[in-house]
Amino acid sequence: MNPALWISKTGLDAQTKDIAVISNNLANASTIGFKKSRAVFEDLLYQNINQPGGRSTANTELPSGLMLGAGTKVVATQKIHTQGDMLNTDNSLDIMIQGEGFFEILLPDGTSAYSRNGQFTMDDEGSLVTPGAGYQLLPQITIPPDALSIIISQEGEVSVTIQGQPAPSIVGQINTVNFVNPTGLEPVGQNLYIETQVSGVPQVGVPGIAGFGMILQGALETSNVNTTEELVNLIESQRVYEMNSKVISAVDEMLSYINQQL
Amino acid sequence: MDKMLYIAMSGAKQNMQALAINANNLANAKTTGFKADLSQARSMQAFGEGQPTRVFAMTESASQNFDSGSLLTTGRPLDLAINGEGWFAVQTPEASYGAGLGGLGSGEAYTRQGNLRVTEDGTLETANGELVLGDSGPIILPLPVNNIQISADGTITVQPEGAPNTEQEEVGRIKLVNPDVRSLSKGSDGLFRRKDGQDETADANVQVRGGTLETSNVNPLYEMTDMIALQRQFEMQLKLMKTAEEIDASSSSLLRTF
Repeated sequence: MNPALWISKTGLDAQTKDIAVISNNLANASTIGFKKSRAVFEDLLYQNINQPGGRSTANTELPSGLMLGAGTKVVATQKIHTQGDMLNTDNSLDIMIQGEGFFEILLPDGTSAYSRNGQFTMDDEGSLVTPGAGYQLLPQITIPPDALSIIISQEGEVSVTIQGQPAPSIVGQINTVNFVNPTGLEPVGQNLYIETQVSGVPQVGVPGIAGFGMILQGALETSNVNTTEELVNLIESQRVYEMNSKVISAVDEMLSYINQQL
Repeated sequence: MDKMLYIAMSGAKQNMQALAINANNLANAKTTGFKADLSQARSMQAFGEGQPTRVFAMTESASQNFDSGSLLTTGRPLDLAINGEGWFAVQTPEASYGAGLGGLGSGEAYTRQGNLRVTEDGTLETANGELVLGDSGPIILPLPVNNIQISADGTITVQPEGAPNTEQEEVGRIKLVNPDVRSLSKGSDGLFRRKDGQDETADANVQVRGGTLETSNVNPLYEMTDMIALQRQFEMQLKLMKTAEEIDASSSSLLRTF
């Protein structure tokens, strides 16, 4: 059949995927610590119908050939790890990372996941856990039950004040983790990412020192989705989708014209 | 058989192929750094005895539209767009077996797609996986690094992990070239190469812009108009085929009366 039909079909497929990525970004526009994705498009292989330089007659050559592209494809969805905005909450267990880094979270199967969402709460034993599933923050921080207030320093040192003790006592240290290629992390939902072969190995460090982002207490990092940008992208994808479907209907008309005329 | 029928048929077939080029351009209306293919028709003469009537059409994709696409601001430091004319030099997988083909091609190709990423071993590559070339081979960043900065002339500076902010290390310069576009041809992987197979030398005047990407330069209005024109032209070819059939039918009915 006419190649244009299948070429336009790849265009429709790719735009549908792009709209799915855009709608996921918009749906997560107010998810704390969410990083937007974008679809990466690539043109598919080209097919040589007439090779440039081929013979047109015994002593002349074709100056240019005919190469038909096979359409487009979404090769990847790339997470864009730029900093989100800061949201002040004044809740002592809300922390955000300013700069690079992830919190390390212990999954129930014993492996680690990584997150930028700093909305921590305490479980029944006083350990810091994620708000949704209740996964533990690593290294484990346990707040004593008689703590009056919790102070988390920019370097991640957690100290508490206890009634009757004038000096705050240190109960733990929050370390953050950097990756060479954070785009290579695999998002697994629940604001968590897991390590993959392309992300590089996790490098644990002290926040605020040597390239690791600082920790800010009483603040959260909002999603880095720019809704205006997403809406403009949506308009663009929708129109490109329509144009591709226009090609399909044009080819359809041509083919039906053949059937009518001949 | 009637020559008219075959000439009209070849015309209709070539119109379909030109439409495939339009369809491909429209499918890639959102592909970063894509350059629209241009199509043209050429007359191919097949004269024989008698009147020189047989001139077939042939569609070719003569070249690409090399105009710049518009710039899209993304804010990601590894998104690069070329300001004005120029190309990024990348290394394709054929470099590894280029020697086996009798030195055919060094695997150097050119692209305008500047959506870069760093792999886990520190090589800088495009989103499609081709290695980004520096002045001497692919660029490899000394891991671990913190800040990657790319200046307007393509120089990459990094801050090694643990180093103070004042310490910046220069690790290389992206090979930016500016060949005459007439000497370039598009390969079957969508990358551009020099027609003579030689490598281009770096051009110091090419400027890149960080945090931006170049969008596809497909002009949807042009493609849609061209598509309508091709569709109507196709219908005209079919009309001629129909006419040929009618002439044929009337001559055979004429014979039947005798």
